[in-house]
Amino acid sequence: MEFLYYFGDVFTPINFGLLLLGTIGGLILGATPGLSPTMAVALLIPFTFQLQAAQGLILLGAAYTSTVAGGAVSAILLKIPGAPANIATTLDGHTMAQKGEGAKALQISFLASAVGGVFGVLLLIFLTPVLAKWALAFGPSHLFWLAILGVTVIGSLDSKSVVKGLLSGCIGLWLATIGFDDIMGAQRFIFHPSLGGGINIIAALIGLFAIPQVITMFAKGRKGDGAEVLKVQKHPISGAFKELFRNKRAMGIGTAVGSVIGLIPGVGGQIAGLVAYDQSKKFSPDRDKFGTGHPEGVIAAESANNAMVGPSLVPLLTLSIPGSPTAAVLLGGLLIHGIFPGTDLFDNHPDVAWTFINSMLIGQILMCIFGLYVAGLAAKVAQVPQSVMAAVVLGLAVFGSYSVQSSMGDVYVMASLGVMMYFLERFGFSAAPLVLGLILGPIAEANFIQGSMIANATDGLAPYFLGGPLNIFLIAVVIASVAYSAYMELRTKRYTSKEEILA
Amino acid sequence: MKKLLAGAAIALTAMTGASFADGHANYPERPIMMMVSYGAGGATDFQARIVTMTAGNEDALGMPIAILNKPGAGGRVGWNWLAGQAEADGYTLGAYNIPHFIAQSIKGGVEYSRDSFEPIANWGADPAVFVVSKDSEFNSMTDVVDFAKANPGKLTFSGAGLFVGHHIAALQLEKAAGVKMAYIPTKGGGAAAMKAVIANEVMGGVNNLSDAFRAREAGNVKILGVFDLERNAFMEDVPTLMEQGFDVDNASVNFRGIMVPKGTPQGIIDKLAETVPTMFENSRVAGKMKAGGSPMHIMNRQEVLDMWEARETTLKELLAGL
Amino acid sequence: MTTLPRLQHMIGSGIVAAVGIWVTYVSYTQQPSEAFLFPRLISTVFVVLALWTFAKACLGWTKVGGGITATQFKNLVPGLLVALVYIFWAAKGLGFYTATAIAFFILLSLYDPASHKELKTWGKRILITAVFMIVMYGLFAKLLTVYTPREVFF
Repeated sequence: MEFLYYFGDVFTPINFGLLLLGTIGGLILGATPGLSPTMAVALLIPFTFQLQAAQGLILLGAAYTSTVAGGAVSAILLKIPGAPANIATTLDGHTMAQKGEGAKALQISFLASAVGGVFGVLLLIFLTPVLAKWALAFGPSHLFWLAILGVTVIGSLDSKSVVKGLLSGCIGLWLATIGFDDIMGAQRFIFHPSLGGGINIIAALIGLFAIPQVITMFAKGRKGDGAEVLKVQKHPISGAFKELFRNKRAMGIGTAVGSVIGLIPGVGGQIAGLVAYDQSKKFSPDRDKFGTGHPEGVIAAESANNAMVGPSLVPLLTLSIPGSPTAAVLLGGLLIHGIFPGTDLFDNHPDVAWTFINSMLIGQILMCIFGLYVAGLAAKVAQVPQSVMAAVVLGLAVFGSYSVQSSMGDVYVMASLGVMMYFLERFGFSAAPLVLGLILGPIAEANFIQGSMIANATDGLAPYFLGGPLNIFLIAVVIASVAYSAYMELRTKRYTSKEEILA
Repeated sequence: MKKLLAGAAIALTAMTGASFADGHANYPERPIMMMVSYGAGGATDFQARIVTMTAGNEDALGMPIAILNKPGAGGRVGWNWLAGQAEADGYTLGAYNIPHFIAQSIKGGVEYSRDSFEPIANWGADPAVFVVSKDSEFNSMTDVVDFAKANPGKLTFSGAGLFVGHHIAALQLEKAAGVKMAYIPTKGGGAAAMKAVIANEVMGGVNNLSDAFRAREAGNVKILGVFDLERNAFMEDVPTLMEQGFDVDNASVNFRGIMVPKGTPQGIIDKLAETVPTMFENSRVAGKMKAGGSPMHIMNRQEVLDMWEARETTLKELLAGL
Repeated sequence: MTTLPRLQHMIGSGIVAAVGIWVTYVSYTQQPSEAFLFPRLISTVFVVLALWTFAKACLGWTKVGGGITATQFKNLVPGLLVALVYIFWAAKGLGFYTATAIAFFILLSLYDPASHKELKTWGKRILITAVFMIVMYGLFAKLLTVYTPREVFF
């Protein structure tokens, strides 16, 4: 209960002011395409040079929390996921926006974020020592199987065609191998100089989601007034609360999956949203409605990707190992003030540690309040004609992908992938599994290579990758997941053939 | 078209050489960009942000330096970009890591060599250390080597990638002790390699002194030896490998500093070489670096040039057999 | 299913299959082989799935994906051309802000349903473009200090 003692520190004028600044700034930066939470936090580091340790961390913690949630704004309204965490949000969120329910989608996404986020921070407060052991339990073989598990999620993410889902995933896995191989340093598939540095994941995300969107709007041509307009209807906040309580299952699954997966160093944050989305879909009686603007999908995805924020800091705060790029940047914020995470932090600087953690708790709530206000504003801006929308999204896509690492090559890659994705989508391929392949490919590869090197030096490949309870558990989940996908494929086949007979 | 214009510009400046030199008198006129070839939050990025934080002061460059991260493949992506695509106009700087980029250029497959860059100044030197987890049975480097002698190729130890400082240290250790061990390169830099040690996935590891110092403070690891010529001020109790009877010099020490791509006007190089070391000496910079556990080592342009050359000779010898 | 989507599906999945074959070929022939271990693994699955999809397309068994109709194609071509010229040439050649303003205005005019004959609609389009450019400049140049290529002016 030590943390309660330091709650007062959050509410001193300066600290609270910084918390507000971090939250609002984070929402704006998060909603800007091309700025991942890591970059947003890195941008704020210089400001913390001037501040005291606790103050600097409040700013960074608030920004981290709200950039993750802010990414939902562009994901829902523009179909540009700001970071891998927001991919799952686009799937139902943007479809809701297209149906005129943009305000509702934003409201439930912020509420779900706050619930998940608060739960995640509470886990960080109460279970840190237990969680730290968990985070270390995942070695190379487990991370490899976890990535493979993610790949099998690919197949079922898009239930229309398992084969095309998997094929999209393979294309993504291949795209991920372009560029320098990380361990040997050999060049692979570099057929254009822009690809020399590999495919940047943020630029790819923008291209794969936003550009097909733009071309689809082009394809509709010059339509008369009123038709095909992105309207945002007003939606009462109380309605959003009700919606949230109606979907307790998605909320629970999202929060649980987000907290557990967020813990795993190197993998967690990126796929928490997608895995939670996929699991809620499998457990939902309305699984056919997922992807058509179903609030359950938004709730699962957003609660998961904010629930991951708290646990993702566990390896950093206890073991001094930054488990994610954002945690690494936060580590910098601590080191600047001569504070080392680990026992030093909690024993010698409890005021810093607990003020930081408490401010993240309050930050989640502030973020929710401001988010709901943004949703209200979005409703006021109301109708955006699609000609304006197409041009705005295109402009943002170009600036966003350039600003990731000030590189024209990234813009070219973004555009090429986007145009390619438009045509692929017309032939039944989908962007989400492709992106999942792009994210998981390097993780699977690095852990496979690293694991096999360790295995060769010790007890051999088979015992290393197939032995141990955690490996066996993960393999069992992979097999169950594949079997489920195959079953669903057969079922839809029967279903379609019946439809064909009727037609 | 652009090439034509650039060609014309070069011709023009060649004709008016005198006024050209004057053109750099008011350099820099706009903010400067510095490329770091590792991700945000890594040790190089962290230190680069600290040492450049006073660049905007009147007594330094008078313009801020913005950090641009281009991570990938152990730094190759960023250095390739700096050598091949960056504009050599004095507004694009790069951070270097020695021995990394020299070792990579000796190995081949990259578009840069020692001659592709012009050093400006060195800010830090981070030696490699040998770490084991806190409950390991190894208590000195002799224990480690004895185990490796008894079990050739079975002793697993992690490090951040191939042809980086950690790998060089590993090669030197194997050569000096005459043993074969299993070096496991990790992706994701020193943090991933350290995690492998703490989680007992590997039996030991080579890591940065600054990161190992923190991990030891947190009570997770033991540090058995420093791959440097003398003991380090951050950990006076840890002996060097030389003291423990292994002939290992400072070839693996990770020197970090600022460089520019070849072709940057000499006037700008001179101006930077004169200003940047004083910028590093700023007391605020030194204070922040010390607080973060990052050892500083300031060297001027000439000293760095000599160090690069010496390092290249050593590395060519060491890597010849690979 | 009509013949047009079927032919389109054959072309589409044919291209994917061709890429799959190329990737597999490269993975199995390039050196060093350690670096291509993982690409070999995935390219094998890639090529099998791609050929399967191609076979299904040839047999007309494709279940998902509507293809592109002639009207859609006619509608998207001008916009796509403007977008490609903008991204692959103008953005760098003219500078980001100039190119974005021009491309934005052309796209807006191309797809705006309002009449082209009235002066008022043109004024509105110019206004929207100006507002968008101010927001972009404020956000990227001022707030985030991204230095974008600026050839012609600012």
